[in-house]
Amino acid sequence: MFFNSIEFFVFLPIVFGLYWLIGGKNIKLQNIVVAAASYVFYGWWDWRFLSLILFSSLVDYSIGIALGKKDKPSTRKILLWISICVNLGFLGFFKYYNFFVDSLVNSFTFFGSDLSINTLNIILPVGISFYTFQTLSYTIDVYNKKLEPTKDFVGFMAFVSFFPQLVAGPIERATNLLPQFSIERKFDYRNAVDGLRQVLWGLFKKIVIADNCAKYANIIFNNHTEYNGSTLLLGAFFFAFQIYGDFSGYSDIAIGISRLFGFELKRNFAFPYFSRDIAEFWRRWHISLSTWFRDYLYIPLGGSRGGLSMKIRNTFIIFIVSGFWHGANWTFVIWGALNAIYFLPLLLTNKNRVNTNLVAEGKYFPSLREFWQMGVTFFITLIAWVFFRADNVSHAVSYLHHTFNTSLFSWVQIFPATILSLVLFFIAVEWLGRSNEYAIAKVDFLKKPLRWAFYILLIVLMFAFTGEEQQFIYFQF
Amino acid sequence: MKKFLKNILVFFLLALIVGEIVVRMTHTMSDIPQRTIDEHGIQKYYPNQDGYWKGGDHKWDINKLGWPGELPQSYDNLIMVIGDSFIENFMNPNECHQSVFLKQNLESYNFMEAGRSGVSLIEAMEISKNLDSLKPVKTLVYVNDNDFYESIVEVKPMQDITQLNLKSNTIVYGEMKAPVFKKILYNWKLLYYFYTRFPLNSTSDVKEEPAIKKVENKSGLKSKAEVSQLIEYIIENYNVSNKTFVFHPKTNTEIIELCKQAGINIITLDSSKDNKSWTFDYDRHWTCYGHEQVAKQIANALSKS
Repeated sequence: MFFNSIEFFVFLPIVFGLYWLIGGKNIKLQNIVVAAASYVFYGWWDWRFLSLILFSSLVDYSIGIALGKKDKPSTRKILLWISICVNLGFLGFFKYYNFFVDSLVNSFTFFGSDLSINTLNIILPVGISFYTFQTLSYTIDVYNKKLEPTKDFVGFMAFVSFFPQLVAGPIERATNLLPQFSIERKFDYRNAVDGLRQVLWGLFKKIVIADNCAKYANIIFNNHTEYNGSTLLLGAFFFAFQIYGDFSGYSDIAIGISRLFGFELKRNFAFPYFSRDIAEFWRRWHISLSTWFRDYLYIPLGGSRGGLSMKIRNTFIIFIVSGFWHGANWTFVIWGALNAIYFLPLLLTNKNRVNTNLVAEGKYFPSLREFWQMGVTFFITLIAWVFFRADNVSHAVSYLHHTFNTSLFSWVQIFPATILSLVLFFIAVEWLGRSNEYAIAKVDFLKKPLRWAFYILLIVLMFAFTGEEQQFIYFQF
Repeated sequence: MKKFLKNILVFFLLALIVGEIVVRMTHTMSDIPQRTIDEHGIQKYYPNQDGYWKGGDHKWDINKLGWPGELPQSYDNLIMVIGDSFIENFMNPNECHQSVFLKQNLESYNFMEAGRSGVSLIEAMEISKNLDSLKPVKTLVYVNDNDFYESIVEVKPMQDITQLNLKSNTIVYGEMKAPVFKKILYNWKLLYYFYTRFPLNSTSDVKEEPAIKKVENKSGLKSKAEVSQLIEYIIENYNVSNKTFVFHPKTNTEIIELCKQAGINIITLDSSKDNKSWTFDYDRHWTCYGHEQVAKQIANALSKS
């Protein structure tokens, strides 16, 4: 069930009604409604994989209880490793088994030996990377004694399977989301209206921006040898806005829907394309994943505290693992490595935390210097996106090879003026709203008729410019 | 909560009103003429209606006899043009209708169209019988494979289309399918837009598909026998001497042969030698160019005969 489907348009009001009207102020009843709705939501895609979520919930719930009772470090460590092995075992099997088999066979072939291992016809469960990391955060936090283990299994099930963010994040920390399942949730008018507004903006990003950009990104990437350099650069530009509109749109919808039910999720995107350097970009892009890796991988590895070689090693590890998290393909690994290469000079010269404030704060326009910095940062992310989007490494290399030649300075062969105008409108709204949690969060300054007219304009644009329906990109991760 | 629900409801209603205005102003959906069934059991349109085709580029008109297109200036030396949505031709402006192009090629004749989407062969014959009162010198009936299959209850039962029941050898007249719902749907443009964008019966459409395929696969014995019976019925019950079946390109050759053997005049259209497509990219219907070529081929065939 997609957020932009008719089914969800029917599903959401039913769950909302059951939650507030039947659930009332009874937390347990509300949690049952959330857990049941989440299982229906996930089962709509493929009911067979409900057992996977249920098993994962059972394992981590039980290990959490056991960690609460045991004080012996070695026993606690064993329990932690059981959780890690079970969760990463599922993830590894469903997502990476075929990749490792293929890579192993290819390496043996490269060295002249024959190795015969069959790949399996495995269906990747939607959102497995998201809920696996979410449950892992619970066990790790309980192990580190940052969180008391929960005894409420229904609440824990609801936390693991919480439908707004189950299949594409934001990846919630147990320390943030889990306690919300044990406190009273009251309906708050302003919060609910704000949530709906964020849902509307998220749908606009997905339907108008991402799906329309996807159409041209697909045409250009799939036939890249037929286009000149400037058109290929435009293709990468379209993909950059496709993936941003798609993923941040999903996050906005997830956060907005959660607000309707009285939950507060963490922010996942903070206008990343207005970043002045790559370090700022990574503080603003997929925040829930970046901070997860920072807290559970980078810092335990020593972070940036060690010597030069340790800094370089840890930076590469975190970026490559982050790339690999996105999918079992060498393109993602190179995408991660490329970002590490972008990031390292800033880290090594201690300039990775220079741009921590908002760009051009309180001003309508950036300075020339800021504009240049944003342009350069966006350009280098475009190059990295080529690897992210390409079917394989040779496709990406060929794409870049065809981009960076003299034809880069010729006029584009595809110029969809309407879609580019929509993207410009989108950039303008995002720029004007960049000091808020999401771009249109503060349209309250408009009088009600104008505000509603703006909402209706967004809805009309959604119907008028509905692109070919595309699945949310991050579902596959 | 009450305030929230009230505001949602008001916003929803307001959005519906704005949506309706936008859809109407931009002609996002085609205007659909209202249908009726006359005293002879023939489904046609209420006379003297007009409306816009999708996008608002051109208008369609229903003439005073209840058929799309313009009536001829005289009924002398009249050739009747009967068919389904290809002849109804709402997707093209009036100047791209068959009668206009045929008149350009055969100036001494007058042409009148009687087209309606969904018309089966047997229904086309009923229409032609009804319009014989205008004393046409010739009647062109535009047909393809499906028009034969859809004419036979035993092959493809359809309630809203006039068909022949082979067992009882009687005509079963089509009934209007959900007329009240359709009236609401076609007048509430936004609802019609949503209905088209998000079809509720998409699953049943998929289920219907194999039935057609089954018929096509069985172009051997059973279908052939039933189609033969249909042709026999037509020969026995209608005056076919002044009727000509105009077969769409790529029509099953066995069907064409059966008609020929039964003594029916036929014209077979051929688009294979034309480098330019006769149909729209997004629609199987003929474009203005397609209609022009069809009319030329028919005019040539008629001149030779």
